[in-house]
Amino acid sequence: MSGSLIDIHAEVLVTHLAGVVGLAFVLVMFGCAGLSTPPPRAPSQSSLPQSGTEVVAPEVTRPPLPSAPPPTVAAIQSEIAAVGPASGTATPSTAASTGQTASKTAPPTAKSPAKSPASPAPPAQPPKKESITSDIAKPKAPPLDLASLEQRLKDTKAIGVLTKITLKNQVDDLLNQFRSFYQGKLKGDLADLRRSYDLLVLKVLSLLQDSDQALATAIVASREAIWGILSDPAKFATI
Amino acid sequence: MKKPTTSLAIAMLAAICCAAPSLAADDESIKKDLFTVITLHGLPCGEVVGVTTRAENDHIASCKDGNRYHVFLNAEGRVIVEKL
Repeated sequence: MSGSLIDIHAEVLVTHLAGVVGLAFVLVMFGCAGLSTPPPRAPSQSSLPQSGTEVVAPEVTRPPLPSAPPPTVAAIQSEIAAVGPASGTATPSTAASTGQTASKTAPPTAKSPAKSPASPAPPAQPPKKESITSDIAKPKAPPLDLASLEQRLKDTKAIGVLTKITLKNQVDDLLNQFRSFYQGKLKGDLADLRRSYDLLVLKVLSLLQDSDQALATAIVASREAIWGILSDPAKFATI
Repeated sequence: MKKPTTSLAIAMLAAICCAAPSLAADDESIKKDLFTVITLHGLPCGEVVGVTTRAENDHIASCKDGNRYHVFLNAEGRVIVEKL
């Protein structure tokens, strides 16, 4: 009698113990799962550069923030202001805007406005005035990699899915406008298209600049090169 | 027999409680996405405060200023925003 009672007690004890252990395991598992989700959001909202600096500690990545704010609101506003009056020929306005963006994005080379950090300096240094004017006339853009930019835009977590589709729709609309323009179906001039292009780029930049600064900087750097393709009917036909 | 059932119920409750924050984060990201889409279409919306999801890429967004929008992806692959 007492033996069977002890057996029942032992069985109940084992059941209790198994339940408690199981519950603790589940709690630990979900606790870990719950902890693993917030960290990806935290860096994205604190506007730290996402790609390429994941190995570096937060203290190391923090210093570049105040010194290198790629597309600031002031820069964007000044670019909008610069786009407006430049309706006839695109070259002066583009040169001015590239100069501004270059000076904003490249803080160490703030004294030389149109020099990009990636391009190696040519040996022609003695005629300074001529080199400066030639730099302004021919902005040395980095090699354009549209496929890479497109892939990075697809992969970025700074923009939601519906937003990405909306932006793609707007890009397609703009490309159709260019197509109609070159076919003579669209009334208006290239300056109108330039304005639309700039607005679209600004939309993308405003979405990226807080959460994916590296991509925003890459787009700013490729901006004029992309416009060079769009504004040239021969190059546009190859797209 | 009751004990395992109780343990299972507690475990499920704990799982739901733990999963809630990630669901809330998803909800916030959808709200932000919808707000951006509405804004990109040039429509007024102070802030998306409520979302009703009908299907994948088919939402009803309620804005802080009282506007409500149907945001969906049509057959042509375009994001459409309709004021309700």
